[in-house]
Amino acid sequence: MNKLALGQRGRRVGGACLFLLVLAIGSCQERLTSPADCPALCPGGEQAVLDTSLLALPGLDSSFTGYVARGAGRALLVSNGLPASEDRAVYTFASRSDSISVRDTLRAYAIDSVQLSFSLVARDTLVSGLKVFVFRLPPTLDSTATFADVTTRFLPETLIDSILVPDSVHSGVIQTTLRGTDLDRVAIPLGTGGVLAVGLGITANSPTGIRLGSTGGSNGATFVTFATVDVPDTTTTIKHQSFSRSTSFNTFVTQSPLVPDPNLLTVGGEPSSRALVRFGLPPVIKDTATLVRATIELTPVTPIQGLPTDVAVVVARAVLADLGAKSPVSTLASDTVADTLLVPQVDTVRIDVTRVVQAWQGSSPRPSAIFLSLDPEAASFSRAVFYSTRAADPTLHPRLRVTYVRPFPFENP
Amino acid sequence: MHRVLFWLLLTTCPVVGAAQSSQFGVRGLGYPGRSLSAHAIGSGGAFGLFDPESSLNPAALGNLTVLNAVFTGVQDYRHVENPAGTASLREPRFPQVGVGGPIKAIPLVLGLSFSNYTSRDFTLGAVDTLQLRGQPVETHDTLSSRGGLSDLRVAGAYRVHDRWTFGGAFHVLTGTNRLESRRSFSNSAFLATSQKSEISYAGIGASVGVMRQFGPTFGIAMIARSDGHVNLDRDSTRVSRVDLPYTVGFGLRARPLPKLDLGSQVVFRTWSGANSDLLAQGGAGADNTFEVAFGGEFTGDLKRPYRRVLRFGARYGKLPFLLDPGDQPSEFALSLGTGTRFAQQRAGIDLSVEHVWRRAGDSRERAFLVVIGVSLRP
Repeated sequence: MNKLALGQRGRRVGGACLFLLVLAIGSCQERLTSPADCPALCPGGEQAVLDTSLLALPGLDSSFTGYVARGAGRALLVSNGLPASEDRAVYTFASRSDSISVRDTLRAYAIDSVQLSFSLVARDTLVSGLKVFVFRLPPTLDSTATFADVTTRFLPETLIDSILVPDSVHSGVIQTTLRGTDLDRVAIPLGTGGVLAVGLGITANSPTGIRLGSTGGSNGATFVTFATVDVPDTTTTIKHQSFSRSTSFNTFVTQSPLVPDPNLLTVGGEPSSRALVRFGLPPVIKDTATLVRATIELTPVTPIQGLPTDVAVVVARAVLADLGAKSPVSTLASDTVADTLLVPQVDTVRIDVTRVVQAWQGSSPRPSAIFLSLDPEAASFSRAVFYSTRAADPTLHPRLRVTYVRPFPFENP
Repeated sequence: MHRVLFWLLLTTCPVVGAAQSSQFGVRGLGYPGRSLSAHAIGSGGAFGLFDPESSLNPAALGNLTVLNAVFTGVQDYRHVENPAGTASLREPRFPQVGVGGPIKAIPLVLGLSFSNYTSRDFTLGAVDTLQLRGQPVETHDTLSSRGGLSDLRVAGAYRVHDRWTFGGAFHVLTGTNRLESRRSFSNSAFLATSQKSEISYAGIGASVGVMRQFGPTFGIAMIARSDGHVNLDRDSTRVSRVDLPYTVGFGLRARPLPKLDLGSQVVFRTWSGANSDLLAQGGAGADNTFEVAFGGEFTGDLKRPYRRVLRFGARYGKLPFLLDPGDQPSEFALSLGTGTRFAQQRAGIDLSVEHVWRRAGDSRERAFLVVIGVSLRP
């Protein structure tokens, strides 16, 4: 065979191989979706979506109180005429000594000025003319103080100062500085322990409330004293000093504390309450259904009030073990669902708990219970009280609305 | 050494056996495969009962004079119409793999092949609107299926006086079918669902065939096959049993001109035996099928018969599985093909193109099938 013939054959073989390669590359695509003409082209039939409401197990829904004490939350409440509640805040600062050690010698000092700072966490941004009033309180006030104990001391002669909060300030530090004769209002007489306590109230152009920082939120109030130390011939930094005192105790008092009713489900309040609601999934859902959506529905006893534009959320958590009040809850984000409480919330509260209920299925299911709490706890004007299974009208009971599909009836050929 | 490597490659490579899919393979066991090589498809399947690279007739293995291996790939371009809409689809598949060769000193040829028996590759999409919790919610449903039944054949053919060839084969029918139903909602508050199921098939069958050559210009071939039944296990649980058909076929080939071979074949299958089993499972049933094919092969150069070959053919047949009771699908196809051998005829490529029309009631389908066969004679 001559070289010419070999070359022609090689080119043919090469061409064929190239053709096959192009065809193979072009063929590596699959598009198989065609329109389903039912019932002819729906083997097995169509998938039905079912919807059902399950009432909570009678008598097995409860509220438990005492998780977060008043004043231990992430904020303190102060309000004036707010329908949700009437509150005043109390701060007690750490003790300030009446002398200071310089060069190993305790020396007296003269106070030049005092600065009181508070952290504004939230306010109703639609209310203008907010003014915060700071009153002097006796340092002996503690967590047992009542609303009356505090407000009876809110007198003109105990007023330290007022802070006008510009409407443009929605959060941040608000403070007042006292100098000269105004220092008498925060003077701490010798021999009284050096403790300053203040109470806060507010006014505004309309009823409103604010939330202030607390030790629980790591943003409590501060009390700073600027003083001149009685020490001769020394530098400015030693002679002029400032002493900062943080909050040693804080709380707020409320005019109408929420008292949990054992026949209702209370979520929130101070100390905070949480509700545990138990359900029984029927076997058809528990064993074979695929959940599409699950919503817990709670009917408020009265419209839920709060601070507009600063709403709280109801948090539904999956229970890892049903131990009643001390049931451990899942901390996984997928097992925690939060839903905003509108103000005022009149309608039924619906929280999507699909992921939580999914965990009730399977071979090792979790307890079919949901733990409800309010966020922020003991630091919100919102207080939710829902009907329980002890309500006479069953339509008011907590219920779980479940939308699910049954196993698809795959056709056996 | 090369033969050892060749056999090792064939026995260890993953085999994918699936023919082209069809909306007429959604019900029952799926769209039936034809067990034909690219060579045979080029002439409409008219020479299928004589083709040693096809798996239709075990006696056809007797035409092999040397060890031969064939691999067939199909690219399917399909346009589907039914009352729910239209769609253009495509799908690559590899429906036929086989190897066979003569035994030294005796006129016996043995072969092993893996071919598609039925294919259940499909994805069906549907859009609907449901009233959920008092609101209209759009749903998107997808039912998909992958897999089907494959036919592993061990066959032998025995030649008697170069005129008669008798063949027999044992068939192992096996495969899996993975099904998935998915539903998603336009409202994201409703979670999408996905449910899966897997069906596995197991069955055995046997076939016999004969070829008779009446001189150099005329021959006939016949087959008979019984596949018994196939057991169906869903997720490891026996769910049903479906009777498989008896198959009988008759083919003839003639050479009216030195350069022209003409052939025809008829294959009849008793799929109605599966009807009661399918109806009992809620299916739409099955009916007997037949396929008639006619075709020819023109050889341009008799000195080099593997060059300038043109194949042509047509076929008509019924499909076994009904979409609607009483309306049996049918298909008609025209085909064209060619092929060449090279490397001292140790390798060959066959290319066929088939245009198929299928219909049943308001459901129609037309497809272009590009079939490539690669054969090796190591």
